Amino acid sequence: MPIYLYIDHGSVVHRLNPTVKVFALFVMFWSVYWVDHPLALLPLGLLMIVLAQLTGSWPNFYRLRWLFILLIFFTTLAWMVFYRKGPALIDTPIIHLSRASLTFGLGRGIKLAELLATSVLFLSTTKVEEFTAGLARIGVPYRVGFAITLAFRLAPLFIDSALTVVQAQSLRGYDFNRGGPLERVKRYVPVVVPVFMGALRKANNMAMALEARGFGMSAMPTSYIDFPIRPRDRIAYALLIGLAATYFLIYWTGYGAISAK
Amino acid sequence: MKPRGPHQGLDVPGAAVEQGARDAASPTPAAALEDVTFTYAGGDRAALSHVTFALGAGEMVGVMGASGAGKSTLVKCLNRIVPAFEDGAFSGVVRIGGRALGAERVCDAAPIVGMVFQDFEAQLFSTNAAHEVAFAMEQVGMPRDAIAARIAPALAAVGLTGFDDRDPTSLSGGEKQRLAIASVLALRPAVVALDEPTTDLDPEGKAEVFALIRRMRTDGLSLVVIEHEAEELRGCDRIVILREGEIIAHGAPAEVLTRLDLLEDCGVHPPDLNRVLGLLGIAVHAASIDEAEALIRARHTNLPPPDASPQSAAPPPAESFAAPSDDRAPAPPIVVVRGLCFAYPYGPRVLDGVSLTIAPGEFVAIIGQNGSGKTTLAKHLVGLLAGDAGTIMIDGRDRAALRPAETAATVGYVFQNPDHQIFAATVADEVAFGPRNFGLDAAEIARRSDEVLRAVNLDALGDRDPFLLSKGERQRLAVASVLALQPRMLILDEPTTGLDYREQRRMMALVGDLNRAGIAIVMITHTPWLVAEYARRVVLMRHGRVTFDGAVRAFLARDDLLAGSSFRAPEATALGRRFGVVALGPAELASWIEGRT
Repeated sequence: MPIYLYIDHGSVVHRLNPTVKVFALFVMFWSVYWVDHPLALLPLGLLMIVLAQLTGSWPNFYRLRWLFILLIFFTTLAWMVFYRKGPALIDTPIIHLSRASLTFGLGRGIKLAELLATSVLFLSTTKVEEFTAGLARIGVPYRVGFAITLAFRLAPLFIDSALTVVQAQSLRGYDFNRGGPLERVKRYVPVVVPVFMGALRKANNMAMALEARGFGMSAMPTSYIDFPIRPRDRIAYALLIGLAATYFLIYWTGYGAISAK
Repeated sequence: MKPRGPHQGLDVPGAAVEQGARDAASPTPAAALEDVTFTYAGGDRAALSHVTFALGAGEMVGVMGASGAGKSTLVKCLNRIVPAFEDGAFSGVVRIGGRALGAERVCDAAPIVGMVFQDFEAQLFSTNAAHEVAFAMEQVGMPRDAIAARIAPALAAVGLTGFDDRDPTSLSGGEKQRLAIASVLALRPAVVALDEPTTDLDPEGKAEVFALIRRMRTDGLSLVVIEHEAEELRGCDRIVILREGEIIAHGAPAEVLTRLDLLEDCGVHPPDLNRVLGLLGIAVHAASIDEAEALIRARHTNLPPPDASPQSAAPPPAESFAAPSDDRAPAPPIVVVRGLCFAYPYGPRVLDGVSLTIAPGEFVAIIGQNGSGKTTLAKHLVGLLAGDAGTIMIDGRDRAALRPAETAATVGYVFQNPDHQIFAATVADEVAFGPRNFGLDAAEIARRSDEVLRAVNLDALGDRDPFLLSKGERQRLAVASVLALQPRMLILDEPTTGLDYREQRRMMALVGDLNRAGIAIVMITHTPWLVAEYARRVVLMRHGRVTFDGAVRAFLARDDLLAGSSFRAPEATALGRRFGVVALGPAELASWIEGRT
């Protein structure tokens, strides 16, 4: 199973300059940030669906489908508890269900799902080397950029390791789902310890291998990949600036907010 | 060595090769350790003790020894990982090309000393092979054009032409390790050190990597190779044997590999050919099966002529050894698999109609190339994966109706890496974890813990921190903690990976004892001699299908299967075939030869 999310689909998004893609990541986060209403978030969601189709990213969304479902479901549920505005449809000491709480909860769920979807699209279309180069291009020091992208490289390895440990312990009769919330957290110790020890070992091996291949010799290494700014990148910049401005305008005019009535 | 500038000495293609050629004509060693001693911080003895070692230009030296003998420490001195990266007390001098290393960083040594590690997953960082090869050149500051010019030759040198756009994670183990070597070769270092580069590889991957190492040697590189299997190092110029941080033997393979007692004493697996010759009282080194055959025929003149049709798929000759008789009444099978199919989402089919039966007391080796479906099948047997089609019955019950924990009481599974399950503060607690999960009372848990710790020979270490045990001890602890659930069948996924020969023998002695006690063993392995000497039945998998299921000896007589599976018969077996017999080990073959004369 591939450990990276990158899918070499060769779409126009794949071929964009990495700096544009880093900027796009920022713009999508920016746009999602300013609005709360599900209807205001809907165009962004549709845009992401179109991009997922265009970039061939569906396999990654499929891999993470449960995360998306749980994110939307539990966020919606949680805000029904905490968002207590608007005329109640159902009112108990714990749950205050109103049109406003439902809309707000759904909006929060979609918002988080869109942030996740943006990241999935970015990682599906951007090689880690491009990510590093994109960060360097916008002034992030090489070592910092490399460390950030290294986290993306390592995360799938650690997830894979954690899944194996869960399998190993469940085969020894261990039930992770027994007890209350605190007890359940404690019950993950037999997973955390092996994963942590494995991560330390892996990180140490990786650090040795990196240095043995010259990492650290130059503060600003050269890049094998050339990233010229092409016309399509300029068009993408213009569209992204337009999107960012539009969403700020939606926020500014109040259309993206949720009425408590 | 002075720290190098970004392009110094690197931007002229072939510069390092020319340097290597110049060195070959001079007496200056390519690399040398002079009276080097290193003790790891917190270590109770020196990992290297007053070691003096020289690697001639263009020379290939094999380094062998038990785990903890100091092999990795020795090669890590060459590029300053020791002492720059590892904490500890260092003394002595390391010279590369005659220049003493001083306060350089590890990265400064990269252009002159390449290092290939055992863990290939930890040394591949990029999203495609071309980026992987470019990485080191980017780090030393080579210009883009020079990098681009070196990628194709580096990939070609390791037989990966056309792999530029391939995701490293999609490569086979052998391809990954060859890619790691390509990324090292791209800098054209004069010295390359390889630290157990084939430990995690299947026989095909191992053969690929050693074929590449031989080509690197022909190209004039100076090489240091750490390896557990002595057979692979027969082509070296010299072999160095380490024990507890000291070099206790070194010399040409013909000198070192005939010292069988010394090799075994140092935890090194002696080559089968030398063992057969030694057992026959022929104290001469054989560098190949041809040589061994000639030496044996010179002494034992009445042996049958060479097999007239060595490539035939004929069953074993009548003179092969009789299979041990089994007078026990057939018992109901523990596992019955019928038509099992499975594919990961968006992936190809990994299991394609697998059918298999495992009876009580069997010892089955599941073999096949990486990716052939061995581990996936094993995970189905214990309920970690559910097939798309087909059925699995465990003790007559449908496995689909059982939770993994319920299956565990019948079928135990020992993962390849013991560190995937060890977490407790003491060895005894680790073993007690499983029985405790099944709600057994304290007295029963204590009884089982004592019993299994005795069985795996760890009873004296019950209070020890498991993380302080050796890899071999941790592997035995993992077996013990699964045995504590008293399964009737044990699946061992590569139980000897990363262990030295002595630990491998110990591990397999334990597995053999468990089998004799009635536990069915299913062992996934790539190691030919383990299959030949311990298993009684072979299940060969290829592309998700079972392509052979039968006795070990029948399998080893089938050249067509051996060739198609990339499984290499042990050398003792291959030598025996020259005399028309299928032998499962050196002792058996030597005994048969002596019986004939």
